[in-house]
Amino acid sequence: MRTLILFLLITAVCWFAVDSANAGDLRLPQNAVAGQPISIGVGGDGDGTLYLIGPSQVIKRNVKQGNEVQIPGEELRSAGRWIAILRRGASQSETFWVNPGPPENLSFLARPSRVPVSQQNAISGTVFLFDKFNNWVLQPVPVNFNLSVNGAGISRVVTSRNGVAWIETSSASREGAAQFIASVGSASVRRVIQQVASQPCNLRMHVSQRTQTRIIVETDPVRDCTGNAVPDGTIVTFTQNDKKGRSTVDARIKKGIARAELPASDNAMISVAAGYTLGNELHVGGGQ
Amino acid sequence: MKARQITTLIRILVLSVGVALALSGVLPLLIRALADAKPSIEVNFDNTGPRQVEDTTQKAIVRDYSAAWQAIAAALANNNQAPLRQNFAGFALDQLTQRVKDQQSNGVKTRIIDHGHKVEAIFYSKDGSAMQLRDTASIETQVLEGDTVIHSDQAQIQYYVVMTSAEDRWKLRVMESAPGK
Repeated sequence: MRTLILFLLITAVCWFAVDSANAGDLRLPQNAVAGQPISIGVGGDGDGTLYLIGPSQVIKRNVKQGNEVQIPGEELRSAGRWIAILRRGASQSETFWVNPGPPENLSFLARPSRVPVSQQNAISGTVFLFDKFNNWVLQPVPVNFNLSVNGAGISRVVTSRNGVAWIETSSASREGAAQFIASVGSASVRRVIQQVASQPCNLRMHVSQRTQTRIIVETDPVRDCTGNAVPDGTIVTFTQNDKKGRSTVDARIKKGIARAELPASDNAMISVAAGYTLGNELHVGGGQ
Repeated sequence: MKARQITTLIRILVLSVGVALALSGVLPLLIRALADAKPSIEVNFDNTGPRQVEDTTQKAIVRDYSAAWQAIAAALANNNQAPLRQNFAGFALDQLTQRVKDQQSNGVKTRIIDHGHKVEAIFYSKDGSAMQLRDTASIETQVLEGDTVIHSDQAQIQYYVVMTSAEDRWKLRVMESAPGK
């Protein structure tokens, strides 16, 4: 029995000794950055295999006794938590962190693509920052936002938080294609936001022609409150009320003006509306 | 007397071998069952800005983020890209696909045993198309070379993710681990 215990003990001690000799030590970088070279020190005796397992890649190297393992910058592409495993009989492992490089790519979400003029906080821009290997840059970075129509507009600097920078702004008072640009250093992304006329304002109509059988009414040029022409195709509704009942015509603005043909009447009230804007009313017939 | 001791010793040996065999059969099954189970995910939507998260979106995020972690575990454990396509898009899909390819070519696999996630929704875009989450995940990671476990560690890891709304679900588009603060 004693002999057996002694034999087991000796085996365990030998095993431990072999393990200790094989294990060696790993010296890992403290401030590794994606895209920059690192070297990993491997102590101990004998040849082995080093695995580096990162969030989006696995690197495998054969290692020789006492050698430093060099990983070139272009190979270290992935930021985040890495595991280094040295296989030499037994295995030894440690974790280390790789930080993202400086921001070189922006992902820019600009909304909406089309917006009426003079709308409060109607435009939003959100930027996510990435380095050249598309690792997310979580450190605070100042991001420049610029929104302009025909050279006039706003510019604002927002510092990113947890990798995101965003702004909210109002649309300009003049219509046109607004250039919305987000930039960090030399990296910039441009989006176009079409600013269009808002709701019609001061909608007015008049009778342009009147015959035995019909009345033709048309609006003045339809504009919003800041003077932008409301786009062609916008619906304008003409309503005629008389003793025969109600007639409604939905007409589209064409070349800035909406026009409708209504049945003739000797005593009718005609009104006009577009969206939530009510225009003037006309009394047709009688003395008119 | 001596013969009796030898018999006892043999009995103990046989019993030990039996227990070892039973454990070796049950443990991998248990580990696989744990890996396949849906991870427990708690999400706090109270401090999200600039937009409040709607109830239906909250439920969808919990469901889809949980599915994303299941997909990561399945993809890395079996070196199979298929589970990733349903739950990932953009950079996250590219990066995890590359990881699976690299694992395959280097003969390793990663087993993730998920012990749960405490998640905070920190950003929800004005147009409701993107949400940023900060996740403190309790993860046990085992790296296998063939069937041999060559690394095992358990850690709390902080993940930042961006999920974006896709056709019928939220997909994980950006994902990065960062040292905890």
